[in-house]
This record gives sequence, structure tokens and C-alpha cells, in this order.
Amino acid sequence: MRPLIRAGVVLFVVAFGVQPLAAQTADDFFNPGVLHRLELWMNQADWAKLKAAFQENTYYPADVVWNGITIRNAGIRSRGLGSRSSTKPGLRVDVNRYAESQAFLGLKSFILDNLTQDPSGIRENIANQLLTRIGVPAAREAHTRLYVNGEYAGLYGIIESVDKSLMGRLFDGADNGFLFEYKYQLGSPWRFEDLGRSLDPYKLRFGIKTNENKSDATIWGPIEELVRLVNTTPIETFEAVVGPRLDLAAFTRFLAAQNFIAENDGFVGYAGINNFYFYRRQDSSSHVFIAWDDDVAFLQSDFGITTRLEDNTLSRKVLMLPRYQAMYTDVLVAAAAASEGWMRGEIERLLDMIGEAMESDTNKPYSNQQHADERRHMLAFPDQRITYVRCEVAKQTGATRPPGCQ
Amino acid sequence: MKRVSLTAILIASFTATAAAQDRRGFVWNDRPTVVFGEDIDLEVRGRALVEWRRFDPEVGEDTFNLPTLRLGLKGELTRHFDWEFERQIEQQPDEEGVDRWQFGEWKDAYFRWRTLDSVRVIGGRFKMPFGLEQTTGVSDLDFAYRALGSTAIAPGRDRGVMVFGDPGPVTYEVGVFDDDGDNGQSNEPQFVQAGEDLEDVGPAFAMRLTGDLLRVLPFSGRLRSANIGVAYTNSNVPEGLNSLRGESFWGTADFFERVYVKGRRQRIGAQFDWSPGPTSLKAEWMQSREQRKEQSNRNQDLSDFVATAWYVSGTWFVTGENKDDNINPKRPLLNGGPGAIELTARIEQLGFKSANTEGTAFTNPRADHLRPNSDTVVTFGINWITTRWTRVIVNAIHEDFEDPNRAPQRGTSSFWSGLVRLNVVF
Repeated sequence: MRPLIRAGVVLFVVAFGVQPLAAQTADDFFNPGVLHRLELWMNQADWAKLKAAFQENTYYPADVVWNGITIRNAGIRSRGLGSRSSTKPGLRVDVNRYAESQAFLGLKSFILDNLTQDPSGIRENIANQLLTRIGVPAAREAHTRLYVNGEYAGLYGIIESVDKSLMGRLFDGADNGFLFEYKYQLGSPWRFEDLGRSLDPYKLRFGIKTNENKSDATIWGPIEELVRLVNTTPIETFEAVVGPRLDLAAFTRFLAAQNFIAENDGFVGYAGINNFYFYRRQDSSSHVFIAWDDDVAFLQSDFGITTRLEDNTLSRKVLMLPRYQAMYTDVLVAAAAASEGWMRGEIERLLDMIGEAMESDTNKPYSNQQHADERRHMLAFPDQRITYVRCEVAKQTGATRPPGCQ
Repeated sequence: MKRVSLTAILIASFTATAAAQDRRGFVWNDRPTVVFGEDIDLEVRGRALVEWRRFDPEVGEDTFNLPTLRLGLKGELTRHFDWEFERQIEQQPDEEGVDRWQFGEWKDAYFRWRTLDSVRVIGGRFKMPFGLEQTTGVSDLDFAYRALGSTAIAPGRDRGVMVFGDPGPVTYEVGVFDDDGDNGQSNEPQFVQAGEDLEDVGPAFAMRLTGDLLRVLPFSGRLRSANIGVAYTNSNVPEGLNSLRGESFWGTADFFERVYVKGRRQRIGAQFDWSPGPTSLKAEWMQSREQRKEQSNRNQDLSDFVATAWYVSGTWFVTGENKDDNINPKRPLLNGGPGAIELTARIEQLGFKSANTEGTAFTNPRADHLRPNSDTVVTFGINWITTRWTRVIVNAIHEDFEDPNRAPQRGTSSFWSGLVRLNVVF
């Protein structure tokens, strides 16, 4: 081919043909600003089996397609506790389950949340965005239309897995600490009381996700020690003794943030402690809480700012310290400030973005009317909550009450 | 236990009846035998294999093991027919959960017409004609255990009908079987979706040709007595996690788990058996290919699933017994001799892979390119044949896995184990 013709062909292709894809990143994958489209390709028999045995954690292979990228032979399984569903299964996607070297945008896994417990479809997304804005460690989340074998399976949330990758992102690359997933024990609500010297009750509640090969004493010993010291240390020496074992400032932020978003099933939940990950930082004895699964947050705008804080041993003792008590109210005020002018607009944008996908989702366990009711509730929440929290903080601290207080 | 008692009563009554007749009745012919007349008899057969084992590293197996305890009856019914029934005896929990000795799995249960050497017919449950070692009795092996391929690829027993004979220098065996052998049974109950029907397993077709084929070649020498054979099976495997699989030597872990298959399962095999004087040299190669129609993540066909195995083994009676004959010690232990002592060695491999080897390899059961894995085993042994009924086997076994992440202990690729076994067979 003559050079002139070759140059012409190249120019034509560049101008009218293949447009090079911009490099995709995990930020693009978890971008809450767009409604994604995710495709799963599974053998029909596997998809039928997964739905039939949705209570089991059996993995099945699947090809996952997003934005022109195909993950071949990822591992897929049903997930969740109360959210498990045979018609609209919540899914965990393990990118490297069947090939250790396989990665996807630096991620080893992610969650496809079926949103079955949240008729609004946006609670956890808004919660995680706000938590991140006020410095509480939380996963990233976006919405997607999910197609399984070419058929629309429903509106799902794409949630970042709480794993080593996330720890690296949250803690400046220090991803080799001990990560625990809190396992709620049905019928045995726990409020941080001392569970005794045996490690077994802690092994039951704190599922280890990293460094699994270490000894029980290395993994759970520091948790047992932390709980024991929280329960036995007098308030006078509490900060000095417990402080090195738990990031008290981060805990206070976590507690206040969960209260601001009216999370009724969180650390001071209605049935005891629930819904968090716990991370012992690399080369450290200090622990930090990571928010998770806030899909029943935004309960009501007048959710009391001290709701159940006294019921939980840890929150009660930490907030007995004036420094952390002040920090708690400061975070509430900061959350209100961070929400003002942002939260309502973001809620409205998300609801508009997912509206059609939600309405056409015939696998969801609630009606479109229920979604519409939740839309109204969510849109009304921010302004009412900001006002309520500011008024209650002013009442508690003796500051001048802002306009609108009752 | 009731059945054991009934068998004993049956034998006793036969004995009493037969003893009344001249040259008939109960005789000891290497084993308890009841002779009813010319070419009509009944033999009582038993096998007990007891072993003591060590593992390094430990794989969680018991030190003492009783892999085989069987009782059987074998007999002739005129010169035209013979038959055999043999059943495993094992401990199984009763209704109250208490372990009790009782009859378990049927082994051989067949009836055979044998009037002509060139055409004989066998029907019932017996071994499909595939695999030199697999079709050798468990107490007649040169080693304590068969090579991996003989239990993973060779089909083993099944119900069927087979025509066989040796009209010339070649022996033929051709049969049709109900399923695909004990070693090739389906693992997963078929998952049927709305509108689909259950598919049947099998039938399987199997054939083998063996003979002293080197006799026709233009050279002389002892190699002319070598027996060579080829075998083939063909069956249909229903959709599911029903492929063959790779178990570690002791069966404690799968180094290659089953994959989804659907379609035809074919096996081909070749065998070599040469026993000059007190030595022997045996070798086998076998391969199975299983179709995976519509088994991809997108319901498309996948490349065939391929299992390949081979072994080469050698033995030498240092005490000089002839390997070809029934092994009877020249100087039995009971007569003050050393018994017969045989040195043995075997190297073998069993491996699994997909026919397609392009692109990234995966370990999931629907991957077109499956990440391969294999187990290579070397066995050294001593057989001490003390009497014609008893044998002590000492084996040292070294296993080496290609993929340490799919070994019995994740991350450990090599294992040593050893055993001392007592075989009592009559």
C-alpha cells in the first residue's frame, strides 16, 4: 500500500471509525452519577439453580460485561441475610475466584445489592455518599440495570466490597490489617457487654476476612481485650487505656453520622449492634469501624440525636468523656452542614435517574406505589432532618436555637 | 447378619448332601469347595485386606484400614456354565445409628456360558473390558492399590452382557452395559428446568482386543510373549457435574473436581503385559474425552474435557518364582522357607485438562480452557508371599501435584505415605 493511501486510511479510521476508549477506573465503575448497565451471562441451568438454592452460598461461573469490558468466568453467588431472594437474588461477584491473576479495575470482588429492603432504592447510596463527605470510612456505590442472559433482572446497587482493596484505599495503602465482618446473631442481641475470656463468642460475631491463617489469639485476642477493657476500665482512665485500642475520634464520627442519617439498625440499632465492618490497622492495635448496609436508614427526620446511646456500653462510656461528647455534636452539626444544599438535590437526581429502571423492575418485592411513597419520604427528609438536628443540638448545648425549631 | 447366617446354613446343607456321595461332597481345594458331580461344584471364597498406614504430611486418614472384606460363592454348572457372586462386608450404621457388620455393595454377580472357546457369553454384573489393572482382582495386584488411572478413567463394574472369546492369537471382548461403570457414575442428579425431560444414562459400549501380537513380527526373542491390547468405550453422559474427576491417591481430596459435561464420553486405552521368568513389565495408557455441549456461561459448546493416565511398573521375584504361573512360594514359610519375595516399582500419572488450551486458564467447571492439574505417583514395594493364601505388601508412595493449590493440603505439592498390608485370600 502506498504511504499516502495508508495515511489516508489511518486518518479515516481515527476520524470516523474506532474511537479509543478512555481508560476505565474503579471510580468510573462506582460513579453514582450515571445509571450503569451490567450484563451477566450464566448458563441457564446455573441461574435456575442459584435462584432455587438462594439460601446457599454456592458459587457459579459467569461472564460479566460492563462498559465494553468483559470479566470472563467470574464467580457469582447468592448473598445477604434478610435480603436473600429467589426472584431477585442479591449477588456477590468474585472476579478472581477461578483465576487468581484476574482483576477488574483493581477490584477483586463487588456486590450487586438487590435493593429488596429499600423501596426507595437509594438509601444506602445516599448514606454512603454522606458518610464519605464527613470522613467516615464507607464503600462506594452506584446503580445499575442488571441483565442476566439478556433479560432485565432488575435495578441493583453496585457496592464496593469491604476487602483488602478497600482498606488500601481508605488507609493509604495499609491493607494488611485484620478485617472483620460483624455477624449478627439472631436471638442474641449484643450491646458491647463483656462476653467473657473465651474467644468463641467473638469468633462467632467477628468473621475474619483477612489474615485468616493467623492464630485465634492473634486474630480475636485484641477484640476480647478491647471489649473487656471497655467494660472494666473506670471513666477516669478510659481514654488512656481504651484509646490505643480503638480510634475513639473515628468511632464518635461513625456514631454521630449513623445518628444523623437516622440509621435504626446500626451500631446502636433497635436489636443491638449490627451492620458494620471492623478493621485493626496494619501493625497497630487500634481498631476502626467501617459503615455497611445502611439500607434502612432515613427512618424518620425526628430520630432522636441520642437514641439508644445509653443502651450500648461503648457508646455510653465514650460519650461520658466531654471531649467526645462535644465531638459527637460537632459531627452532627457538620453532617447537617454537609447535607444542606446537597442531600435533597442528590436524592432527587438519583430518584429521577433510577425511576424508569425501578418501575420496570418486575422482580422487586414492593409495588411502584410503595416506591412513589418512599420517594416523597426521602425528598422530605433532608430539610426536616437538618432543622431537627440543629435544633436538638442547640437545645442540648444551650446555644441559640435556629429558626424553624419547635 | 441374617444373610451371613443363611449363607452358612446353605453351605452346610450342601456339604451334608454331597458328602454322602462317592468323591463328592466337601473338599478343600485351596478353599472350601462342595463338589456335586463332574463339572458341578461350589466354592466359598473370601478376601480380607488389612493395612497399617502412615502419611507425611498428615491427610487426616485413619492409621488402620480394612479396604476389602468380601465373601463370595463361585461355581461350575456343567462344562457349559459357571457363575460367581461376591459381596462386600462392611460396617454400616443401623436404624439406631450403631455401626454393625453387614453385607454392602455387590461386587461380581454373573452367569457365564463357556461351551466354546471362540464365543462365550457373560451376563450380570462384572467388570467392563477396559484397563489391564482394573480388570485384575484386587488381591492379585502387584501393589496395594491400583494406579490412579485404573480407578479414575477405567470404568470398573457394571450390569451388562458381553461376548468374548479367543478364536486365534487375539482375545476379543465386546459388551453393552447399563451405565458406564462404577467409576464413571453420574454424580449430580439431573437438574431439570420447566419443559425438560430427564435423560437416561448410558448405555455404554465397550470392547477390548488383546493378544500376543508381537509374535507376528519378524523377530524372535522373549519379547514375543508380551501381551498387547487396545480398548475402547463409548457412552452418553447426562448434563451436570458428571465428568470424571481426579482424586488424590488416598481419596482424601479432589485435585481436579468434576466439570459440567453433556454428550458423549469416550475412552481409549492401550496395555502391555510381559512376564518373562521371575520378572514382569506392565504398562498402560488411557484417555477419556467427554463432550461439554451447551455448557458454557452462554450455553454454547465447550471444548472436550480430557483425562489422561499412564503407568509403567516392573516386578522381580528375587526368590525365583515364575511370575506367569499362579504364585506359589518355592519354599513356603510354613515349611521353613522364606516364602516368595518380590520387589516392585511403579511410576504413574493422572492428569486433567480441556482440549482447548488457548487464552487464560480457569478452574471453574464451565471454562473452555481449564487450568490443568495432574498427580504423579511413584510407588516402591516389597511383596512377601508367605503361603498361597497370605501375602504381606509393603509400599512407599510419593505423590506430586502439578498445582499445589489443588492438592490435599493447599500449598503443599508433595506427599509421602507408606503402608504395610496383610492380604488373606482363599
